[in-house]
Amino acid sequence: MRFIRSAGSEIIGLFVADWVQTAVIIAIVAAGWYAVSGLHATPLPVLVVLVLLLAGQHVWFALAEARRVKQPG
Amino acid sequence: MYTQLFTFGAAFLGSAVESTEALTIVLAVGLTRGWRSPLYGTVAALATLSVLVLLFGQLIVLRVPETTLKLIIGTLLLLFGLRWLHKAVLRSAGVVAMHDEGRVYQQTVNELQGALAQQDWVGFVIAFKGVFLEGIEVVFIVVAVGGTSRYFPEAVAGGLIAMLVVAVAGVVVRKPLARVPENTLKYAVGVILTSLGTFWAAEGMGASWPLDFVSILFLAAVYLGASQLAVLLVRRPVMA
Repeated sequence: MRFIRSAGSEIIGLFVADWVQTAVIIAIVAAGWYAVSGLHATPLPVLVVLVLLLAGQHVWFALAEARRVKQPG
Repeated sequence: MYTQLFTFGAAFLGSAVESTEALTIVLAVGLTRGWRSPLYGTVAALATLSVLVLLFGQLIVLRVPETTLKLIIGTLLLLFGLRWLHKAVLRSAGVVAMHDEGRVYQQTVNELQGALAQQDWVGFVIAFKGVFLEGIEVVFIVVAVGGTSRYFPEAVAGGLIAMLVVAVAGVVVRKPLARVPENTLKYAVGVILTSLGTFWAAEGMGASWPLDFVSILFLAAVYLGASQLAVLLVRRPVMA
């Protein structure tokens, strides 16, 4: 039972380290999908914004975690 | 050609990192308790993982429509790759300690020495658990990268060759492969998987990339740049 539980949390842990960050990434992808498939926006600008947002959130969450870890106590 | 190389490379590098971690556990068990049970545990775990690769690989390649597959697996690869990249950035910036195979090895040895009076299946279970849990990541990388690119054999070959190389190195040196630059490898694999994930997720949305697969190089450059920027900003001293 303990093994199944640790395998389960290992599988979730493959994709999720921080639930907020995961939600943000999924929201960015969903917005991109809606823009291309739903609004039929020109793909290239959508792709550029998508990549910039994904790269931006990566920097943001790395800084946020670093601040959390460095905080005393 | 590029797709095949990327598929093979991503599977090879990802599997090499995880195999190194699994090898540390198997070595710790084998050198303290004898080789029979950990080897059985390793073989059992590898057999289970092979079944998972074949099962999910076939399911994905044969049953899931291409655009849905690209969107879902692309997003999962993105989450997976960014998680590796996030950890690699924090390690490079000195916020989180580097993964140390020597320390992991010593910890496992200490735990096993406390359990010496128990039955021999302890060695089997620890080796099985170590190889299986580390191997789940390999299964995901191989299935995701191979299934989405439709170069499944190349991905499986990348994973198998990496495991073989690490196993041979382990047999030769008979101690944890502490010199493998795990953080650098995780950094590289994180960049590759995040780029592949972005590429496929966008194709799954219905967008097509300029220059097709070559744009992955551009994506890799952007994510590498962003990661380097994150390391620089994290290292920057905070003004009071």
